[in-house]
Amino acid sequence: MVKYLSTEWAEQAKKKILTELDKAKDLKNMNASLLNVVQNVPPDNKTVYFYFKFVDGNLEELITGSDESIKQKNAEFTITGDYTTFVKISDGTTSSAMALLKGRVKLAGNKMKALTITKPIDTFNACIKKIETEY
Amino acid sequence: MKLTDVLETTKREPHCGLCKIDFLGTGVCAAGKKHGFVAYWPEGRMELARALAENEVEPSEALIDIVNSCNMCGICDRQCYFITQRRPTKAQQALKDYVQTLKPNMIKHTPEDEIVKDLRSIVGKDWATNDPIIIASYLRSIIKQKSSGQYYVVMPNTTEEIVEIIKLANKHKIPYLPRGNGTFFGVVLQTLLAEPSSIEQGIVIDLWRMKDIDVDPESITATIGPGVTSFELQKAAKTHKLRANVAEAESCVCANAQNLGIITTWSNTYGWGTDNFIDAEFIDSTGAIQHLSDKDIPNPYASEQGLMSLSLIPSVIITKLTLKLHRIIEDEEPVFIPFTNLPDALDLAYNLARRNIGISLAVLSRKYLTEFISPTHEIAEDFNYIAEKYLKLNYVVDVICDKYGKKIIEEMAEITFGQTMLKSLILGSSKLASMKDSSILKMIAEEEDPLKAVFAGPMLKHFEKGLAASPRELVKDFDEDLRDFFEKLYSKPELTDSIWLHSFRILPCRMERKHMWMYRGGYMPGDKKTILKVVDALEKPAQQYHIDGAFGFLSYLERGKLAHLEYDYYYDHTDPDARKRVNKAIVESWRQQFAIPGVTPLEFICSKGLHRKEHIIYPLPAGLSEEELGHFEELIETLFGGEDTW
Ligand SMILES: Cc1cc2nc3c(=O)[nH]c(=O)nc-3n(C[C@H](O)[C@H](O)[C@H](O)COP(=O)(O)OP(=O)(O)OC[C@H]3O[C@@H](n4cnc5c(N)ncnc54)[C@H](O)[C@@H]3O)c2cc1C
Ligand code: SF4
Repeated sequence: MVKYLSTEWAEQAKKKILTELDKAKDLKNMNASLLNVVQNVPPDNKTVYFYFKFVDGNLEELITGSDESIKQKNAEFTITGDYTTFVKISDGTTSSAMALLKGRVKLAGNKMKALTITKPIDTFNACIKKIETEY
Repeated sequence: MKLTDVLETTKREPHCGLCKIDFLGTGVCAAGKKHGFVAYWPEGRMELARALAENEVEPSEALIDIVNSCNMCGICDRQCYFITQRRPTKAQQALKDYVQTLKPNMIKHTPEDEIVKDLRSIVGKDWATNDPIIIASYLRSIIKQKSSGQYYVVMPNTTEEIVEIIKLANKHKIPYLPRGNGTFFGVVLQTLLAEPSSIEQGIVIDLWRMKDIDVDPESITATIGPGVTSFELQKAAKTHKLRANVAEAESCVCANAQNLGIITTWSNTYGWGTDNFIDAEFIDSTGAIQHLSDKDIPNPYASEQGLMSLSLIPSVIITKLTLKLHRIIEDEEPVFIPFTNLPDALDLAYNLARRNIGISLAVLSRKYLTEFISPTHEIAEDFNYIAEKYLKLNYVVDVICDKYGKKIIEEMAEITFGQTMLKSLILGSSKLASMKDSSILKMIAEEEDPLKAVFAGPMLKHFEKGLAASPRELVKDFDEDLRDFFEKLYSKPELTDSIWLHSFRILPCRMERKHMWMYRGGYMPGDKKTILKVVDALEKPAQQYHIDGAFGFLSYLERGKLAHLEYDYYYDHTDPDARKRVNKAIVESWRQQFAIPGVTPLEFICSKGLHRKEHIIYPLPAGLSEEELGHFEELIETLFGGEDTW
């Protein structure tokens, strides 16, 4: 059991993506970088960043933390929302696309391109959902 | 009477919400008016009778109060019968009998938790609840059926109270969602759009109490609260010889403004969305109050286009809206031009729109005409059959214009009919239905041009005489105890007055009396070619999935440059297989609509800021490529799962 968004969780997420997902079939050779801005993370309501970058379907980087430098990474897409919503996305109660549709998260970035990565991102989320996580 | 005895009726409750307004001059349910929560209104009693019968909720103390608050006065029977021919008192009787069977230990007490306590401290103890029975009455009209979330319902009376409610929801990190009269939810919650449009847990903010209306005849405007319905605003405007550009009677105007921008047949002259909005007060998700007239607010018209822009949840709650009203012209008259073919009807309507003729201008389908003006669904079906088979009447260009407009139309169209014929059709609809396959209809069908023969030729007099139109004739097959009431009702001039009916729109709900339906269509360029392509894109998926699809109405904006089409899918929402098929047809029709340049499907018009058409419809979208449509399918799968899960 690892704590959601901790360094250990990020390590496990990386491992899972690299070992379980096929870059062409599952990740559609996607080229994208995405910054999740997770607000109000307990216990002290901090903001935690969760950033990842894919190049041609290869995971280049996946990091989490409160360090402002993560925010500066110039991600192509930024998804901002409350911790409770990210937990629901992470545990599979909802999808990031549904959370977006319901206005529970906000997306900044090119919407037409976002459309092309909804499926691989969904597969990505389904994969990291399998990490035994403590919220 | 057992709850299961009325289950067939209660399962079909469409939540049309009309019985919450006094649209027939009968008054409304006294218990509903006093207590406010949907549970105390006829629609809520219907829903509770269903939910209890289907074991979706257990009896609580509130149930006893709800059941006892009804004195079986029968107002709801008259109202609902007018629309659906159902009798809510039957459900109420079943509830009364059910309550008699309950032992005291079966009635649950609902303890007050911290959130409901805080809500009550904001709105007063009578206007907030966590009682499961009251919450269950909101099932299928803002809460998804079988939802397991923890809910609260609150009925604020002021903007400041809503601010406090939002802050409380944010403090507890729970969602909230406003409800006007629940009619949008009543329709979409039966489809795959249920999840993105409903609330999965949290606070239902029922805005029904906020009913301030202030008409300013000097500036020809009205300022209203979020609980004001179209009917109520229209009534207030009419006392000043003014008209509001509002949609169907029971929708709350603020909800409609936010939700679809208020689509009407009057758009030819009065426009759409912000064409009519002057100022608005709204509350954002942090609880901050803003006004359209404030200089420093974020752009309230901002909206996105395209596939990723679907959004069925409001981003703000409108708490006050100031709208333009319009002067009623003394010589307004209805003119109807009947057609057999859609392309011909579109040609004329487009020509009128381009010339700005017609204050109200629409192409109406046979389905709408017959369903709206017939007092029962059975009569409507016969009327529909007769219109198609014998009269060859499939579309009407439906115009309300001044006397000069009328002259021009009569010059442009060979066959027209007016108020007198419409009145005859309304009051004679039952007689007409009884003439199904009669020799006079066969004679008409044999004419070279049946439309001309009936509406402008030698058969006109015989046809009108044959209808024997009278209120007494109309109601002769109604439930016996209601006949006198309806005979008097249909004798009132407004019930057969086309202009009144277009303004007050008490009839559209009749489309949901037999089956549920789902609005389809959207905005598009007003040229015939595009419109016919869109009709095809909606019709084909309906056929493919065996859904009863029908053209509804088409209206214009900007002198015919743009058109709005409503095309409806009718289906039995109590049949899981029909629901699956309708969902498949919806998705397939989106695919086909998005491929047509210039088209924005209706669902993608929803909840788009304050509905400024220049932000939503322009630039006219290019049709999507095959590759983009492929991504669209992936998006649908991500959102709703595979076809099998819908
Ligand atoms: C039979 C029928 C015919 C119709 N015909 C037309 C038509 O011709 N033209 C047309 O434009 N529409 C039409 N509609 C659609 C309907 O008018 C709109 O969906 C309208 O919003 C429904 O009003 P309501 O009060 O029932 O809204 P609800 O169902 O209560 O709510 C609709 C949406 O608005 C939100 N909402 C409610 N109040 C507010 C508020 N104050 N501020 C912000 N958001 C709010 C809700 O959260 C929800 O998302 C029709 C619907 C029916 C059932
Ligand atoms: S169908 Fe309409 S009028 Fe009848 S009970 Fe339901 S909401 Fe009221």
